[in-house]
Amino acid sequence: MESGSLLRLDGLTKRYPGTIALDDLTIDVPRGRIGLVGANGAGKTTTFRLLLGLAHPTEGHIEVCGLDVERDPIGVRARLGYMPEHDCLPLDQTAADVVSTFGELSGLPARAARQRASDILDLVGLDEARFRSIGEFSTGMRQRTKLAQAIVSDPELVLLDEPTSGLDPAGRDDMLALVARLGTFGISVLMATHLLDDVQKVCDYVVMIDGGRLVVAGATESLLERTGTVTVDVGPSGPDLVAALGAMHLRAVAADGHVEVEVDGDEGLDLLRDLIARLELPLYRLSTRVTSLDEVFLNRSEDVS
Amino acid sequence: MSAALDPDGAIVHDPAFAPDATVTVSNVSVWFRQKVALSELSCSFGPGVTGLLGPNGAGKTTLMRAITGLIDVNQGHVRIENSDPRRDRKVFRRLALVPEDEAVPGGLTARQFVRYVADLHGVVDRNAPDDALESVAMLDVADRNVDAFSKGMRQRTKVAAALVCDPHVLVLDEPLNGADPVQRLKLIALFQQLGAEGRTVIVSSHILNEVERLAPRVIVLINGRLAAAGGHHAIRDAMDDRPRHVLVRSDDGRRLASALVVLDSVGGVTFDPGRDGVVIETVRARELATALPRLARDASIRLLEVRALDDSLESLFRELIR
Amino acid sequence: MSVVEAGQGAVYDRGYRPYDGPRGRRGAATLALYKASMRRALGIRRSWRQKVAPFVLLGIVTIPAIVNVGIGYVTRNRFLTERIEIITYHDYVGVSAALLLFVALVAPDVVCPDRRQHVLPLMFARPITGVDYVLAKLGAIATIVFAFSFLPQVVLYVGNMLVSDSALDYFTGHLDVVWKVPLAVALLSIYYAVVGVAISSLTERRIVAGASVIGLFLVTSIAAGIFVGDFHEKGGSAAALINVLAMPLYLRDLVFFGHIGPRSPLSGVNNGGLFAIIAYAAVLLTGIAVLLRRYRWVER
Repeated sequence: MESGSLLRLDGLTKRYPGTIALDDLTIDVPRGRIGLVGANGAGKTTTFRLLLGLAHPTEGHIEVCGLDVERDPIGVRARLGYMPEHDCLPLDQTAADVVSTFGELSGLPARAARQRASDILDLVGLDEARFRSIGEFSTGMRQRTKLAQAIVSDPELVLLDEPTSGLDPAGRDDMLALVARLGTFGISVLMATHLLDDVQKVCDYVVMIDGGRLVVAGATESLLERTGTVTVDVGPSGPDLVAALGAMHLRAVAADGHVEVEVDGDEGLDLLRDLIARLELPLYRLSTRVTSLDEVFLNRSEDVS
Repeated sequence: MSAALDPDGAIVHDPAFAPDATVTVSNVSVWFRQKVALSELSCSFGPGVTGLLGPNGAGKTTLMRAITGLIDVNQGHVRIENSDPRRDRKVFRRLALVPEDEAVPGGLTARQFVRYVADLHGVVDRNAPDDALESVAMLDVADRNVDAFSKGMRQRTKVAAALVCDPHVLVLDEPLNGADPVQRLKLIALFQQLGAEGRTVIVSSHILNEVERLAPRVIVLINGRLAAAGGHHAIRDAMDDRPRHVLVRSDDGRRLASALVVLDSVGGVTFDPGRDGVVIETVRARELATALPRLARDASIRLLEVRALDDSLESLFRELIR
Repeated sequence: MSVVEAGQGAVYDRGYRPYDGPRGRRGAATLALYKASMRRALGIRRSWRQKVAPFVLLGIVTIPAIVNVGIGYVTRNRFLTERIEIITYHDYVGVSAALLLFVALVAPDVVCPDRRQHVLPLMFARPITGVDYVLAKLGAIATIVFAFSFLPQVVLYVGNMLVSDSALDYFTGHLDVVWKVPLAVALLSIYYAVVGVAISSLTERRIVAGASVIGLFLVTSIAAGIFVGDFHEKGGSAAALINVLAMPLYLRDLVFFGHIGPRSPLSGVNNGGLFAIIAYAAVLLTGIAVLLRRYRWVER
């Protein structure tokens, strides 16, 4: 994978008559798997259009894979792949034909396009179905074909718009696994989605936008804060544990079938363990409470507004 | 049929049937030419929120349409408060379905659309459309054309249209589809509120962690048949012949594993470098849970995390599908 | 001598292979779109049913050529003062119902499905622009119409050459045909491509587009006929230029004769040839303007 930032936005603003879609966004996003989450009309589609050079910013500056989008939109599009959310595949052609044709449309010579199409369709799990007409495909198969046409040209960055939309839980798992693998192929991913769960599972970096303004941008890991509270589930004997902890002057509270304990460092963890062992209680769950991306989003967007 | 006596003589309810059912599905089969969409399905729904789950093509949409009287059943019957939704207009008025597909007539504003649906249902209250739009936070864009809306906004408009007739039974197919994180929370709160008001709310969604939050009771369909019913923890407990998997992260996984392996309750131990821990397979969860802290203490191994991997609705679902 | 060793084995990594080969840009992508559009129109790589209509129409359009050659062959040994030709090259660059149907069939097919099935966003994200898209589509239709109009001419020419007394004499005696026919056919093909594709770009539905193309041609030709009246008696009128369908025929006359033909509805009009060229250009420019508007890639 090449070095250099994936995406650089500098004071990016996009105004339409009556609304502001994006307001003064400045971020520097590294390569890898990026989640893009937006709320309140944050203009997912607008963002993609701007990145692809299909719309002009009202103010500000965009650089994708080191290229200035205003100056070389064709060059940018040559390095990008795009997977829209809506149905966009010709239904009367076979998957192999469609993916191979779109490979050629991205500039690949015909023979290379055909070979890449075959490789990619195998990769996304459509090996057997590839000579069938797309009209016969299920939602999951169509989503995978859409992904295939986006990566057939071996792009540096692929834009995914709600890739798990319409998929049942098994399909969602499969798609997210595929997206996660793209990173190992040297393809960066910008995944726009409303499902923070998907972002948490797959993305190394998150950009959150609310009402056009940047709420937060940072590595997923760094956003999920560990609190000093440990959640423990010892079954119905929760109150006994609370009492015992209280006797040791440790703050604990029983809530909703489990116990939340203020733990002081790693030694505190050992103390807790020993206490539970002494009381001969079953330890069903022990976890350090971590904020979820949902909470991060809500907290931060409250700050912004 | 929905209740039986257990060996101690206590009344036990079959979790497929809600105790105060408003919607009853009795031995229902629906087929479309060769494809059997629902196969001798019997279950019921009561007040509150019930989740309806299943893989694509399992028959959820067909069931929802049968419940709201949009299609006929080939066998068995559906009753809403003892009336047939297909034939009884009165009951039909208090039913609402929010379908997944985009069917909204073009050229209407949000307010016009909701008012139109209100008129269709014979709603007298002139404020009902605005109230409905407000409950889904769409009042400020009520005069904009529905065609110009994003998917999430269209979905919320359809929910408003469903609410405007003050339904007793509300059936929603992927209602959170396209909604951004903020809207999702508001909608979840709205549905919980509707359930708390005593309406029968049936929600179908593929986003299982949200269904978990929203619905204390779920019905799972696979291939047109009932696969599971009840609260998801209870369903998990009912699958007690299937082993549980517990992830344990510690500061010395190997030593911990070797201490655990001697236990009878341990069926298998796997090292999971991705999650930085050890996954223990067991059919006797309580025995393992009691032994774990003792063994860790005796071997001076620090426990960092203990977590059942199959506790979520997602993992339950995966198990059911297999 | 090598000994086969059973003890060695290897498993090869079938993982992802990045692409390091040549990458074309706009030109390559546009060419690829051009070729893909032609394949689509002719039903290549699709079911047999898609191929029937175009090739049947091709057959129909070629029939006069075959008949002409046939007659020439049958009468070759008879001494005739004049060769019987049921059709001349000039006349063959013409407008037949088959050609009209062909354009109305093929032009919507390369343009409407892209819009209807929402494939356009996938195109927009490629290294091409709206202009490239339009050129590729126009090129595809123009090429096909050219081929389908030119092939019968070739059949006619070669056939005539073979049944004549001396092929070489025939060739030297008809040298001008060799450049006039392709030029006239090209002017015709480009024209019908622009009109057909421009109209098709206005709608998503192929049937509506096809009907509109046919409708436009028929209505304007009937209207022109009414305005021009009986030109055999009175001579031609500039109103003949309303006839969108027959426009290329005036240019054909210019190519073959250098002036408007005597039996044309435009004959006798002062500067008729000049007006014809202007009208022709106007139609082309309008069509192209429509197309550039309909395929505006970048929003303002």
